[in-house]
Amino acid sequence: MYVFKHSINRMSDAFYWPTIDLLLWGLTVSYAKSLSPTSSQNVILMVVSGILLWLVVWRGQYEISVNLLEELWSRNLINMFVSPLKLSEWVISTVLLSFIKAFASVIFASFVAYGLYKVEIFSFGFYLIPFMILLFMTGWWVGFFVAGLIFRYGTRVEQFAWSMIYIIAPFSVIYYPLAILPSWAQKIAMFVPTSYIFEGAREVIYKGTVDPKKLLISFVLNSIYLILSLIFLKKSFDKTLEKGLVKVL
Amino acid sequence: MAILKVNNLTKKFKKFTAVNDISFELKEGEILGLLGPNGAGKTTTIQMLLGVLTPTAGEVRYFGKNFIENREEILEQINFSSTYTDFPWTLTVRENLTFFSYLYDIKDRTQRIKKIVDSFKLNDLFNQQMQDLSAGQKTRVNLAKALINYPKVLLLDEPTSSLDPDVAKYVREFLFHERKQFQISIVLTSHNMAEVEEVCDRVIFIDKGKIIVDDTPENLTKTIEISHVELFVKDGLKRTVDYCQEKGLKYEIEGRYIVVDVKEKAIAEFLRGLMDKGVYYDEISIEKPTLEDYFLQMTKLK
Repeated sequence: MYVFKHSINRMSDAFYWPTIDLLLWGLTVSYAKSLSPTSSQNVILMVVSGILLWLVVWRGQYEISVNLLEELWSRNLINMFVSPLKLSEWVISTVLLSFIKAFASVIFASFVAYGLYKVEIFSFGFYLIPFMILLFMTGWWVGFFVAGLIFRYGTRVEQFAWSMIYIIAPFSVIYYPLAILPSWAQKIAMFVPTSYIFEGAREVIYKGTVDPKKLLISFVLNSIYLILSLIFLKKSFDKTLEKGLVKVL
Repeated sequence: MAILKVNNLTKKFKKFTAVNDISFELKEGEILGLLGPNGAGKTTTIQMLLGVLTPTAGEVRYFGKNFIENREEILEQINFSSTYTDFPWTLTVRENLTFFSYLYDIKDRTQRIKKIVDSFKLNDLFNQQMQDLSAGQKTRVNLAKALINYPKVLLLDEPTSSLDPDVAKYVREFLFHERKQFQISIVLTSHNMAEVEEVCDRVIFIDKGKIIVDDTPENLTKTIEISHVELFVKDGLKRTVDYCQEKGLKYEIEGRYIVVDVKEKAIAEFLRGLMDKGVYYDEISIEKPTLEDYFLQMTKLK
């Protein structure tokens, strides 16, 4: 939190970029809607809520990966791991930190969305709770997978901290329905837990309900990936200790 | 009582053996110097002693307990400072020390931070960001962090490098004080031989991953027989050079000064020989062998 307080970069990641996303996408959709007045009133809600929900995944992953990178950039990693800090404690602390920061980002962006487009993310009602939990889980497992890669290969793979999450973005069907994807991509999307959430979110917008099976599948997939990513992280950390933590640069 | 016991510690990186079956002990309140040329295995050893590098074989025991099996409990009681670590640069000194006081679960956090900030004269820098500090100031913060948890064992890798001589002297005195008051045991690596000689009770010389010597600095320097005799020759510099060549002595000339390497036992004979040759000198200084001479002899740089 100290780093966050002093870092303009981290502040802009949390508040500036979500605002820009909301402005650009929201205005584009508003314009498209004005060209086709017969289109559904829910299009703006769909896109803006997509931005807000994706923010949870992105922030969840980003905080974990960038937190590790910042320790590496500042050569503080050794100081941390020669203290009684356990890897599991570091994992828990980054999860909590990512939760707090993502939550702050989403709340801020929700106010912006309401101010600009009168879109209320709380219109999802109680579904928002499982949606948020499952989206956080996705962000965390991608974050831990990237952290594992950074432990193994150092800062030369730091680009993954910003890009890895976007590998699953097209298959997450954030702004469009699953049916739009080509059939091969739909098969991949079946294994992407966020696709069930965004499909579910659209169901809530259009039907007011969501198929609980979707939430269950997303939860099972997220749980499997989370466990695998934590195993990968632990193995990467142990591998790093064999080379020496000081060599992670 | 041995507070740290290293048994047959080995580290191999594929076919390269960085540390080769070393064993040593550190007693309570003892300051032990790890010396050796670059790449000798000092830092690799320190890293294994800190648990940030897994040994290929062997065992490290602190306070009679196996390090791997009691990692967290042991790490609470030891600490470390090095020039190859740093702190988040946007954080202030206060924030960094506070963060580490939480990591080490320091109960009297405020008082402890105040004490070490006073000790390392960091008061004026307390609210400054790390990025605004000089290298020497950062080293002082690093040392302050290393003492935050009342460590029983302190591992210091080049602790006073990049410090001004007066601050380095202050740090050495501080380490002596902490050792005397709290019986802290210290393992340190340094390229400053004078510092090692002044501070360390015992020195381990490592080369190619093996312990070559384990002894006190005094005993090590005693093994060097050569002293440096420096003369300001007023008359007979050429004769002095001829005499050195005749006797096979190593010498260096700068102006009318000549420094001759002479065995300690043969100094009187050497000076008598110069007198016989009619050499007239009016300044003489005899430098006894230092740890640096020992180091240079061992590393064959001389």
